[in-house]
Amino acid sequence: MILSKIYVRVFFLISICFSVLNVSVASSEICTDSDTSITSSKWQAIAFIKTIDTLPSSIYWPNVKPKLFLENLRSNIYSPLKIYEGISTNFCGYAALSYLLLHDDPVGYAKFMIQLFQQGEATMGKVLFHPSTAINQTAGALKFKGVLDIRPADQMWFLSLADHFKGYLNVFDHRYDAGDEDKLWASVNYAKFNRMVRELLHYKVDAKGSDMIHPGTSNTYEYIKSKMKSGVMVLYVNNTFLYKKKHTALKLGFPTHYIILQDINKTGETITITYWDYGGRSLRQMTPAFLRRITFGISHCTKKLNGVE
Amino acid sequence: MELNRILTTILLIAVIIISCSCNSVKKISTKYYDENKIALDSIEHNFKILYQQKPFSIEFTDKSFNYVSIEIITDTLKYIYEFGINETRLIDTLTKYHFNEKAIVDLFSQMRSIHCTWINYLDYYVDEKKEALIFISMRPVGLSKPFTNKKYYIITYFSQPQYFDNEGKLLVKRKRQRIRKINGEIFWRINDKVCYSISGRFR
Repeated sequence: MILSKIYVRVFFLISICFSVLNVSVASSEICTDSDTSITSSKWQAIAFIKTIDTLPSSIYWPNVKPKLFLENLRSNIYSPLKIYEGISTNFCGYAALSYLLLHDDPVGYAKFMIQLFQQGEATMGKVLFHPSTAINQTAGALKFKGVLDIRPADQMWFLSLADHFKGYLNVFDHRYDAGDEDKLWASVNYAKFNRMVRELLHYKVDAKGSDMIHPGTSNTYEYIKSKMKSGVMVLYVNNTFLYKKKHTALKLGFPTHYIILQDINKTGETITITYWDYGGRSLRQMTPAFLRRITFGISHCTKKLNGVE
Repeated sequence: MELNRILTTILLIAVIIISCSCNSVKKISTKYYDENKIALDSIEHNFKILYQQKPFSIEFTDKSFNYVSIEIITDTLKYIYEFGINETRLIDTLTKYHFNEKAIVDLFSQMRSIHCTWINYLDYYVDEKKEALIFISMRPVGLSKPFTNKKYYIITYFSQPQYFDNEGKLLVKRKRQRIRKINGEIFWRINDKVCYSISGRFR
């Protein structure tokens, strides 16, 4: 008990330091590099996946059934909105990243997943994924997570991302043990999320906000609205307010959830947002104060230049 | 001497309070179901019928059960609205989405009467096949353990009989003695199709 209390105190001290650091880092990092990678369309991805009827079992992924794996890839390509992080997991950051990937480069995604399945390792962007043995053994065997139970490719993908990318929240739980998908091992702090997008995808990220302090925008609604026209918006939000799960008066004032904002409008003092999370789109209304209270990070993702934008 | 007597009295009171709130979880939950069986079964039955007409879920968002959130599920979008229970906007919205307003309002009343905070369908998978159960959360009234968060009673209604181990824990299958978790919780038998759990969160 005493040891765990010390851990918690150390963790909070570190998190405060990183949070302060992230404010300056996140808001100043505007990647200006251009990238010559070609982004693919959904129809190209469908044409690609149609060329693969069957796959032999993989020696690297003993619990991943090839038939379910292919069905999962097809489902993600045909219906990218349906990708789902699973009940009670901390995979929401990885699911939000997958939304960006599946809408921007589904062919790249499909090829990467096939290579990862067949060869046990694969490269995306600048990153070589070589998942640990624990991840190889676990993918395909996660249970009681809703539809994620029958989506082994998503299990492979989320687990591999969590295995590879580490942030300060993962310091005390660095290696995967059974059940860690629900714990700090899988969590994604804000700087880590933005780093993953920059390193893996054809996006540049203009990030405002941090893990503990709200973004320094004078008017959150106006800022988001103005940026939405030119890119994809990812919001890092406090889930205890967005999806209430307890009736306690005291709520943790930290963000724990990533959503993709698709639309935002204001009528009088009512803001209506349409967003993607948990494998589907939702629409809800809120006050400007509520929007500010739940929003901790605003990532404005725009395509990297390919010569012709 | 006087100080000793006061301290002893305080200690006794504390022991009584703690022991009152430390009843066995199983006893509380089965008793709760038995006491509210008619209301719970009626809520489950009505929700099942209304859900078939148009998928939705209901959540009471405050402790006093004066505010209700309704999630209206369509093929493309989930609409999440929150209303005061007596607001006219509530009925207007139900009408707009072609709900049976009276039946939904009756369901609200039934839920409030037994402090039911949330009702929804939840998907689970058996042998790669999708199944669904009805998940009902209740916020118990009365004392809870001091300095702890209030727990919720969770009741699940399955459409088919389930398997349980000797202690009454819900299993994945009869042959495989693997315990099934729902929403991260272990569930216990009330009858073949109804289980319960105690959870720190209602959804």
